[in-house]
Amino acid sequence: MQINKKTNLKAWKRAQEIGPNKILKILDKKGLVGRGGAAFPTARKWGFAKDAKADRKFVICNADEGEPGTFKDKSIFQNNGETIVEGILIAAYTVGAKRCFVYLRGEYEYLRKKFEKQIKDVLKKAKTDITIEVVRGAGAYVCGEETAIIQSIMGYRGQSQYKPPYPPVEGLWGKPTVVNNVETLTCAAQALIFDDWDPNLRLFSVSGNVTKPGVYELPLGVSMKKLVEIVQPKNKLKAMSFGCFGGIMPIDYDMIINNETICKEDCSHGAYTIILIDEKQNIVDICLSIARFYTYESCGKCTPCREGTIRLLNLLKKVKKGQATKKDLKIMDEFARHIQETSLCGLGQTAGNHIITALEHFPKDFEVFRHEN
Amino acid sequence: MITREYEETKHILLNILKETQDKHGYLSEKVMKEISVKYKVPLARLYGIATFYMMLKTKQQGKYVIEICSSPSCVLNDSNTIENTLRKELGIDTGETTKNKKFTLIKTSCIGCCNEAPAMLVNGKPYTKLTSEKIKNTIKKLKNAN
Amino acid sequence: MKIKVDGKNVETNGKETILDVCNKLNIEIPTLCFHKNLFPEARCRVCLVEMDGKLVTSCSTKPRNGAKIITNNEHVLKARKRNLELMQPETLVCSKEDDNEICQIYKQVGMDDSRFDQIKEYHPELGDAIVRDENKCINCGRCVQVCGEIQNVYAIGFQGRAHNEHVAPFGNKKLSEVACIKCGQCIINCPVGAISERSHIKETEVALNDPKKHVVVQTAPAIRSSVGELFGMSAGSLVTGKMVAALRRCGFDKVFDVNLGADITIMEESSEFLRRVKEGGTLPMITTCCPGWILYMEHFHHELVPNMSTCKSPHEMLGMLTKTYYAKEAGINPKDIVVVSIMPCTAKKFESQRPEMKSGVDYVLTTRELGRLIKRKNIDFVSLQDEKFDEPLGISTGAGTIFGASGGVMEAALRTAYELATGKVVEKLEFDQIRGDKGIKEGSININGTEIKFAVASGGKNMEKLIKNKEKYHFIEMMACPGGCVNGGGQPIYSDPETVQQRMEALYEDDKNKPLRKSHENPIVQKLYKEFLGNPNSKKSHKLLHTYYTLRDRFEAKELKK
Repeated sequence: MQINKKTNLKAWKRAQEIGPNKILKILDKKGLVGRGGAAFPTARKWGFAKDAKADRKFVICNADEGEPGTFKDKSIFQNNGETIVEGILIAAYTVGAKRCFVYLRGEYEYLRKKFEKQIKDVLKKAKTDITIEVVRGAGAYVCGEETAIIQSIMGYRGQSQYKPPYPPVEGLWGKPTVVNNVETLTCAAQALIFDDWDPNLRLFSVSGNVTKPGVYELPLGVSMKKLVEIVQPKNKLKAMSFGCFGGIMPIDYDMIINNETICKEDCSHGAYTIILIDEKQNIVDICLSIARFYTYESCGKCTPCREGTIRLLNLLKKVKKGQATKKDLKIMDEFARHIQETSLCGLGQTAGNHIITALEHFPKDFEVFRHEN
Repeated sequence: MITREYEETKHILLNILKETQDKHGYLSEKVMKEISVKYKVPLARLYGIATFYMMLKTKQQGKYVIEICSSPSCVLNDSNTIENTLRKELGIDTGETTKNKKFTLIKTSCIGCCNEAPAMLVNGKPYTKLTSEKIKNTIKKLKNAN
Repeated sequence: MKIKVDGKNVETNGKETILDVCNKLNIEIPTLCFHKNLFPEARCRVCLVEMDGKLVTSCSTKPRNGAKIITNNEHVLKARKRNLELMQPETLVCSKEDDNEICQIYKQVGMDDSRFDQIKEYHPELGDAIVRDENKCINCGRCVQVCGEIQNVYAIGFQGRAHNEHVAPFGNKKLSEVACIKCGQCIINCPVGAISERSHIKETEVALNDPKKHVVVQTAPAIRSSVGELFGMSAGSLVTGKMVAALRRCGFDKVFDVNLGADITIMEESSEFLRRVKEGGTLPMITTCCPGWILYMEHFHHELVPNMSTCKSPHEMLGMLTKTYYAKEAGINPKDIVVVSIMPCTAKKFESQRPEMKSGVDYVLTTRELGRLIKRKNIDFVSLQDEKFDEPLGISTGAGTIFGASGGVMEAALRTAYELATGKVVEKLEFDQIRGDKGIKEGSININGTEIKFAVASGGKNMEKLIKNKEKYHFIEMMACPGGCVNGGGQPIYSDPETVQQRMEALYEDDKNKPLRKSHENPIVQKLYKEFLGNPNSKKSHKLLHTYYTLRDRFEAKELKK
């Protein structure tokens, strides 16, 4: 896989030879975009931070991979940790940062020792005064959001802040900060020295009711039919989900998977997480799992998300018990949309998607419980 | 608009709390007060941090903390049955600790082992591709371990 | 840049938020968590407006160039209502006596009911001065911000996550169990009344209804320029006469003036200060009429005990004199006298229960409680004719009145200290350097060849700053509430930021118009010393009017040693 190609400090050497401006030009030309979900052009983000005038600048590697169904960053840690470190160094060098952080989620604690050794080795070989510290996440999905990561590192509750101000201008401790996903930084190092680096190859995390779940490197534009052939579900598929925030849709074998099709209006397309659901499942059970997830992971700061997610969960529990009326379903839909519209950060803004799509595409799954009672 | 000023610190509070918890098993009031004084962090804010992050504990936990994943990919692979098996084997409900303080059972969000579902963490170590049989054996081993 | 607001073309400089722009245009937008003096966190999501079709919070969003903003269409109004439904199920906050910010907003948006049930099950918490009911809390965070960023106490913070997020002291302890200075700033910033003062109206009414008790009420300086607000009068209306008349109608046997207590405090404190300067005692000397400041020192700055004046606060001094001097003069058994203080302060409720103060004031009622008492007795406050305080403990000077403003205690003390030390008349009675709304103010005055440097601070963060610089000064005044007692935790809750300034100015105006403006010229003060106390700082004065302090733990409400 392209993602596992090691750069062995050649990218760091090249970076220092060509200088920040050339680095930005190359990454821009190669078309590198963020792989944490928002697909923001990496060179542009680094450019903002580079041009901002400040005495201190920071780079944060976002290793808080927490979207259910996503496990691609874990595989990069397991197979190509040194290149991640090199990517961080290149980002720091480009924007002018001396202090970098890797925010590693607490659930990946067992990967930390090996990675910290890799940091030490690479820094020694790179002969640089740039420092990289690992920050140990402690069980908060919301800390994958860039302003929440910054609050967390500064020693506060990891609650999101409104934007603007954007981190590349005003981030960690008020200074310009670049927050990039693990995969993005790895690709930045690779794109700098591999002429044949292909920006269209993406890491797909595929799981659910399939016999061959795993991380697959596939080109954008691959069809759902092809993907399903690779992962070989045991039973006939019923639905597909692109991560909790993406909603639950009926399975569409003709779908061409790329940034445009996987994206819902202006919400992010995520990190190419695909969960496949077969006929034996009831969508309400999936919704319950997702609603529990949001109720647990909401940071609690803003009213609609803090209060709304628990209300949606309680209504879903009512559905499962067979006690939900048509009015209840209407309220669920109304408040799922309300939470989307008025929440402060991306978590809340996508917390209702699963209910809206499930009610629209799988109404019979909701009816089943009512008739059972 | 009023602005907020932050001062850069050398120490990272989250790491300090985690290291302290590694050493003492949990964050007791005594140890929190020491951190509050040493790093000049108000105690109410420090507890605010400790109660925000699910992996930071202010009460003593069991010797083995079992975190069973309850997110979609694991649910699709029958994690509910695994959870029920764990409840039966340990004799406690999710969220509780056994009377002999040996096991704590918690439901958690996705732990990133979706391709080896269903999965759980025991004291941070992943146990994957779980079956009822595997659970029974693991619990037996842990019960007999010293 | 040019934008459109509700169809109108508007110019803005790009630095204003949408809320700023709307305020200028007199467009009303409901807000709950927003506060002019605090960093906007955009938690409540009630100030929503539509910008280019999307809902945004007006308190934290600056408009884009060419933006089309709509503040009142159905989309916006429905969204605001839904957030109110979510935050306060069963709209249980608004009783008849309540007038919280959220009640105004419910009226504005036409809120009738919520479609959700209450799921919070917190135990309402009683306390000696402050009580809390977390079930009413909407997580706006104003109390947390004020207690931390403005008062530097950090007694409370957000605990837990998601729907379990709630405001509490560390370890979910009760507020009365942790280091809290009881300044009540949390109370006056809470938009839903989830925090309020421990009420002593019942105890007062029991005393009033007991024919055997001689109930004396005494009013703090700050009350006379703020209690009118509770009856619809404008902020800063000086209503001394009506206040006295209302108190008589409530059934109090005598109405005394704590301003007189303030005059006595000045006599004791000026003499104490001059003695320290002359004999090389511990300087700077720090005033001690603010119980919030005393708690702050007892919890966090044990090293300052030698700097503290040993004087009690004015109302406690007057309370003691009521139960000794007045009791003797009037021929009443002190055991039958109940002294009730009307205070702008919640910390004084704690102060009056301190073991060393128990023989003085019996109960403290806040300005708000007084308002409630007057309304319950169906007294038409606004139409009352002015009445005067009772003798003998009702005559006071302008120096006593200005105690309610930050800098007032210092000014009053200097007027007397200067004249007592030099024997000369002080040139200018108004010390402008320590008037006004700055957090820390300073000045100096030459007394017998020494340049006496003084400073005053109000608000916790400012007090902390001044403590770091204290060695520069001889005399320091500390007030826990920003602006002084006029902005105390027991005062009427206000939304107009000009209110505090207006209340302050009314007191300075009252001072200007008084015939007597220096404490030592008060004939009652002179009489009290001649006939009863002897000299300031005499043995008798020390027994009745001076006190000691108790060191407390920095985290909890535990006592360490006296």
